[in-house]
Amino acid sequence: MRRVALRGIRAHLVRFVLSVLAVALGVAFVAGTFSLRTMMSSTFSGIVDSTLLGDAYVRGAEPALGRSMTGTTGETRNTVPAGLADRIATVRGVDQAFAEISGPIVLVGKDGTAVQSTQSPSFGVALYPDDATVTIASGRAPNGPTEIGLESATLTSSGLSVGDRTQVVVAGEIRTVQITGKISMGTALAGATIVYLDVATATAIYAPDGMVSTIAVYAHPDVTETSLVANLAPVLSRDQTAVAEALTGDAMRAEARTDIEAQLGFVQAFMLVFAGISLFVGAFIISNTFSMLVRQRTREFALLRAVGASPTQVFASILTQAAVVGLLGSALGIAGGLGLVSLLRIGFDQVGMDLSGSIPLDAPTVIVSLLVGTVVAVVAAALPARRAALTAPVEAMRETTATERSLLVRTIVGGVLTTLGAAGLVVALLAPDSDGSALVGVGAGLLALGTLLLAPFLVRHCLGVLAAVFVAAVRPLGRLARANVARNPRRTANTASALMVGMALVGAASVLAASATVSTRAIVDDGWTSDFSIRSTTGVPVGAVADIRALDTVGAMDVLAYGPTVVVGPGERAGTQDASFAVGIPAEAFGRTIDLDVVEGSLDTLANGAVAVKAATAKERGWSLGDTVTFASRAGAVSASARVGAIIDSNLVSVPIVMSDRLLAQVVPPGQVTIEFLLVNAAPDVTAATLRADLVKAVGPYVVLSVSDKGDFADDLAGQVNQILVILYALLGLSIIIAILGIVNTLALSVIERTREIGLMRAVGLGRLQLAGIITIESVLTALFGTVVGIVLGVAVAAVMPTVFNGVGLTTLAIPWAQLAGMLVLAVVVGVLAALWPASRAARLPVLDAVASD
Amino acid sequence: MTDNPTPHPLEIRSATAIPASAIASARGLVKTYGRGDTAVQALAAVDVDFTRGELTAIMGPSGSGKSTLLHCMAGLDTITSGTVTIDGEDVGRMNQRQLTKLRRTRLGFIFQAFNLVPTLTAAENITLPLDIARRPVDRAHFDQVVAAVGLESRLHHRPSELSGGQQQRVACARALVAKPAVIFADEPTGNLDSRAATELLGFLRRSVDDLGQSVVMVTHDPRTATYAHRVLFLADGGLVGELVNPTQASVLEVLGSLDAAPTADNGNADNDADDSAMLLPVRV
Repeated sequence: MRRVALRGIRAHLVRFVLSVLAVALGVAFVAGTFSLRTMMSSTFSGIVDSTLLGDAYVRGAEPALGRSMTGTTGETRNTVPAGLADRIATVRGVDQAFAEISGPIVLVGKDGTAVQSTQSPSFGVALYPDDATVTIASGRAPNGPTEIGLESATLTSSGLSVGDRTQVVVAGEIRTVQITGKISMGTALAGATIVYLDVATATAIYAPDGMVSTIAVYAHPDVTETSLVANLAPVLSRDQTAVAEALTGDAMRAEARTDIEAQLGFVQAFMLVFAGISLFVGAFIISNTFSMLVRQRTREFALLRAVGASPTQVFASILTQAAVVGLLGSALGIAGGLGLVSLLRIGFDQVGMDLSGSIPLDAPTVIVSLLVGTVVAVVAAALPARRAALTAPVEAMRETTATERSLLVRTIVGGVLTTLGAAGLVVALLAPDSDGSALVGVGAGLLALGTLLLAPFLVRHCLGVLAAVFVAAVRPLGRLARANVARNPRRTANTASALMVGMALVGAASVLAASATVSTRAIVDDGWTSDFSIRSTTGVPVGAVADIRALDTVGAMDVLAYGPTVVVGPGERAGTQDASFAVGIPAEAFGRTIDLDVVEGSLDTLANGAVAVKAATAKERGWSLGDTVTFASRAGAVSASARVGAIIDSNLVSVPIVMSDRLLAQVVPPGQVTIEFLLVNAAPDVTAATLRADLVKAVGPYVVLSVSDKGDFADDLAGQVNQILVILYALLGLSIIIAILGIVNTLALSVIERTREIGLMRAVGLGRLQLAGIITIESVLTALFGTVVGIVLGVAVAAVMPTVFNGVGLTTLAIPWAQLAGMLVLAVVVGVLAALWPASRAARLPVLDAVASD
Repeated sequence: MTDNPTPHPLEIRSATAIPASAIASARGLVKTYGRGDTAVQALAAVDVDFTRGELTAIMGPSGSGKSTLLHCMAGLDTITSGTVTIDGEDVGRMNQRQLTKLRRTRLGFIFQAFNLVPTLTAAENITLPLDIARRPVDRAHFDQVVAAVGLESRLHHRPSELSGGQQQRVACARALVAKPAVIFADEPTGNLDSRAATELLGFLRRSVDDLGQSVVMVTHDPRTATYAHRVLFLADGGLVGELVNPTQASVLEVLGSLDAAPTADNGNADNDADDSAMLLPVRV
């Protein structure tokens, strides 16, 4: 039987090509995801290993402000005095100890713009002359506030060279500096921009109070990390000036890696979702292929059964074929995955993000990829194989076989799931107190599954609506094509499923994006009353604030700053609350440059030291108007207390607490205040254009600042939303490619299946172009069907979201009709593309094949 | 193969000019499959005329080239040399587009099986050639044809809901409804029981006698051949005999003489080789 199975593959090789391709695409994504993850892991651990070279680290012993807001950047701890390093250096076993002094910096490159690659950080670091972990590759170490050194990759991407003069924006001001040296850390840094400063300069900028977050300790050659820490511990505990602890270098590196791995794990999960989608769709292609093959070869199986093969043997022979298809596809897919990652690495390289080492292909990746591909293929073929195994020997003698199985059970199950899913969405919509996100999630899942099950029913009963145009426009081809598509609803539905899934996601995403954009515009229109705003991603330098305030054309300017603090409400115990952010707004700004919707109380109270709390926060924490809240550090020291003077409901401010700028200065340490926005109004009789020109000129030297009016701001946000969409579209492009493969596969197989019928029609006068037309219409109908069902599904789910997620700024539902229409056009294009090969193949079939293939 | 002895009781008309009575003719029709050493001559310089308004049957042993002759006459297969003329048009010189148009407007086909498009109803199958050609359906003619084949009550059924005989009658109706110059039928009763076959043949004959249709039919069954006005006999790619107003006995007699002919005996092995060789191009 094995011989029969293998011969079967050889005889029908062409028919398996697309199945193999489908598996290969899915597996390529799986293998690519894993090896990309490994590569990034090794790059980032390389960075950790080469930047955290210390044998031990000394750092604050207690969290300064509770856990950080995002939870991904590790703990924020109290600081330790930089001077502690000198005392540590005298401890037994210690060779050197350096206080690590670093912070944000903006480097202006040769082209006059900020040196920055994608989302990688940019920071300035103190360079100790006797630090053995860095080497000066050329030039010399920076000395004094007007000199810097650049890390070698940073030097390359900045376009500058040693000896050049350039600017840096640091400590809120612009400085002109000279590059004195190229400094190497001996590792790929994934695009981070690193500027070296001399110790005195760095200390003045980043540690004006002499406090740093960590001190790196290097041991004598024969001292182990553990014994070093053991030596340090008693010294630290005796020290009265600092609450500090020591930990080994290994422990520090492990902590850093854990944080990175967690983030990479998220990226990997995201990409695996798409790998899953493509494999899921690939499974449909395989299942379709085997279904058609089994149908065609019924007589062959019956013959095998008649000569004594058991059902199990027939079953096994088909599964063997599926396994071969899966293995072949997986092997190709692994190669393809490596290719993808190589391309990605070149892409990353282009945007200045160098990743280390060779592309890894470890045994687990290979094994998982092979397994995934093979299992998917075998599982997909199992149902058709079962049907083949149950072929009665007597079928060998029959003329025709295989009546379409009933869709009843599938339709009922699909109907029930769809109804449940829709009910979930409706409940989420109507009952605001229910757990909206869970309901939407489960509802959407059920709806999608139900629709996939219902699809054949829809093909049978709803396809006519889609086909009506073609039937009317291209007589009689449209009618023939419609009949062909509806002939086997199960097959058509399975073929369309790839597009259905892809288009549902794209449809939902574009509705959400449009809604988010419209919502943002509405929020901005509602609350933003200033002429211009000035901001940057890294905060506005203090120097720029003064520069702009000095402009004649500026009428009024308000500074919006924010910082972390711990807020303790009535009845809450200090020390149990996480840090949250508070924003400081000058009291006179309200009504002048910004408007917040007040639910209760008045914003006027902020001038007298009261605070405004967002409604959602007030509800969550049980605060009401007139309550007193206190601001404290983690240790419980009260820095200020304030009355809740207003409850606000505004999506313009994303932090929970609004206070006056004076109060913010009291409750947040000066080093932790970030200026987010400058809101600027024109002076009387000054046009917006004049003011804008002045502002742009004033912020120019700061490189990273942007001037925007309401429209620009909304456009920027929309641009960010679209950036996310582009990534999503790129990934969904894959599902469209697989969809094309699926349609090609089904059409090609059905052309083979229909050889006689095609020949007959040609014999009675059907022209080649007409035949190609029929097949193209079939293809377009299938693609349109998948797209329309997918869009309806996606839009339905997305339409629920603005109501459910009103609280997070999604207030308005907007349906991007143009984009949805574009998707329909895309479907037609996909259909035509997919039909090219099968249609030309069918058109070239000799007419005689039909007449004489007996 | 070209030097076949002529079977004794019959004379073959040596035709050079095409008589006006012919609806379809071939002159020096040669069809060769393959090339060089593997070349097999399926038709060896055949001259033949099919008379307008007649039912002509083509008979001959397996591998005699009777189906090939039908396919070449109908423009379904290319010819190696010679000419094929249908109703005054030179089929051999036509390109694919012209052939398609010829089949669509001038020819009707009835095959042994798989005659109908399974997704279309009987009525839609009957009007398919007209629909493809975007020609209007002559309702009166349609009704006449449908009534003649007795399909009035089955018009809205799918082929899978029709018996074999009914399916062939639908195919007949389809061939007739476009009023073609000539209908080519390849073993039209090959898959039918004798009652259904009798019905179908009676109907074909009536379409010739009553409607003036011209029909060319390939068959291997002597009883079927008796419905024809004239029977042509083929052996080894050449025309070897002809019977007018055949009876079952006379057909059997000629067939018997063909089997007994020395070339047929000697060529038994050859015939087998021919069989497979002739099938090859079809399978490829």
